[in-house]
Amino acid sequence: MRLVVNEFAKMRHLRVGALVLVLLTGVVGLTAFRGLASGMTAQLGDPAGFPWKILLAGLGFSAGLISPLVIAAIASRQVEAEHAGNGWLLSATSGVTPGRMCRSKFLALGALVTAATVLQSLILIAIGFGLGITSPLPLEHWLGYTAAVIVVNLAVLAAHLLLSSTIENQLVCMGIAVIGLFIAVFGSALPDWLAMLTPWGYYALTAPADYIGTDLVYLDIPYLRVMLLGLVGVCLFSLITARFDRREE
Amino acid sequence: MSNVIETAHLTKRYGSRTVVDDLSLRVPHGCVYGFLGPNGSGKSTTMKMLLSLIRPTHGDVLIMGQPMTRTSRRRLLAHVGSLIEAPPGYGHLTGRENMRIMQRLLDLPQRQIDWAVDTVRLRSQMGKRVRNFSLGMKQRLGIALALARQPQLLILDEPTNGLDPAGIEEIRELLRNLAASGVTVMVSSHLLGEIDKTATTLGILSEGRLLFQGTRSQLMAASRPDVIIETSDPRFAQSMLRQSLDCRTDGRATRIAQADDAATARAVSTLVHAGVDVFEVRRDDQTLEDVFIDLTKAGGL
Repeated sequence: MRLVVNEFAKMRHLRVGALVLVLLTGVVGLTAFRGLASGMTAQLGDPAGFPWKILLAGLGFSAGLISPLVIAAIASRQVEAEHAGNGWLLSATSGVTPGRMCRSKFLALGALVTAATVLQSLILIAIGFGLGITSPLPLEHWLGYTAAVIVVNLAVLAAHLLLSSTIENQLVCMGIAVIGLFIAVFGSALPDWLAMLTPWGYYALTAPADYIGTDLVYLDIPYLRVMLLGLVGVCLFSLITARFDRREE
Repeated sequence: MSNVIETAHLTKRYGSRTVVDDLSLRVPHGCVYGFLGPNGSGKSTTMKMLLSLIRPTHGDVLIMGQPMTRTSRRRLLAHVGSLIEAPPGYGHLTGRENMRIMQRLLDLPQRQIDWAVDTVRLRSQMGKRVRNFSLGMKQRLGIALALARQPQLLILDEPTNGLDPAGIEEIRELLRNLAASGVTVMVSSHLLGEIDKTATTLGILSEGRLLFQGTRSQLMAASRPDVIIETSDPRFAQSMLRQSLDCRTDGRATRIAQADDAATARAVSTLVHAGVDVFEVRRDDQTLEDVFIDLTKAGGL
């Protein structure tokens, strides 16, 4: 627990808080703008729940567009401080191995990313009610999507923590994040099996609503695949950080 | 416990390259151990093996009488402070925030943090961000981070690197004070002059091998300075002696290397019998620096 608290202490002056705010406001802002631009306000009373659908579809799109880069920047800032400040060695000489440090970073940053992801959905629901949507909130779709995107965000965070720890030049890591962004945005054009090979592809796979022809419909979220991503993510992150623990400084 | 550090046949190889070769160190309790050697001689690798940051290819390390292994490392490192390679410190945080991180990491009481900061005389700078520290201040912060746990053993890898003479003297004084308070200090350097006045025991490393280990006076006694013979005809003297001795002409003198007392007597006798006037016979004045350079150049005493 002390290590996790230390990670929060290291965030001071790193603008990690500001980046988390960008993750929150960026996704909420873009989703709300997209909803309003799609004529959502004209159909607030639609009994089929069009405004909720357009908000959820926008949330899926915005998450894929904003989260990969911002999460990469958050991970990079937190790890770069260790490279620059000889922090890996400082901790190792105090008996704390690099793998343990990475796991602590994941817990600290993961809590922030999860909080931001939950808040994104809550704020958008509040905006929906605030605007006067009269149809009932499709809670299961919002809950399901929020849970799925939390898993995806955490998988991307874990991948970037490992990348930033391994590759000292953080520009390379941000370059990989840009590739991830393309996969996230254009992943729906890829075959499912290909999109499933990287954590970024899941932003496309978990799209909660989309147009089929002229109809905006809810899509089935592939919960099993998302659970598999979580499981594989946990195993790989544990395995690789355990290898870090045996790394010679 | 007479030795705080003991190693037995400590060896580190990377592929076919041997970086540390069969090292048997003995660092007595309460001393300042000067660990000397040219750049690339294996000092940092040895120190990292002592701290279990890298695994030896062969051999054992005992710290305070207990084997230093991956499993015992955490427990032992609670009593071992160290500064390896560049001084640590998160540049975006202040000195105080860096010390707080160490305090939390090892669950240390505030009085230990205060003591460490006061010991390195950094109290007035603790509100400044570390990225704005001078190199000397960064070194002192690194030492404060190592001292915060009030270690029984302090391992410092070239702590005076890049410091100005005043900074070097400050570190020397700090090490002397720590040793006086009972902390065993192992400090490495590639310059003998930097730690000669501080170290009570010396270990000299070259190409991964320990060439000498002992006190300053033992080192001087173990070395054999050149014999200098001043004669009326140095060239003739050299031609007479070079058949049996390693000698050369040096102005008016003939200089004989590696000559013991018997060889010196034989040389004088040879010259006298050949009719050469001998004005003076003496051993060369040798500084510890000369001994160190000779040792590391020649690969042994």
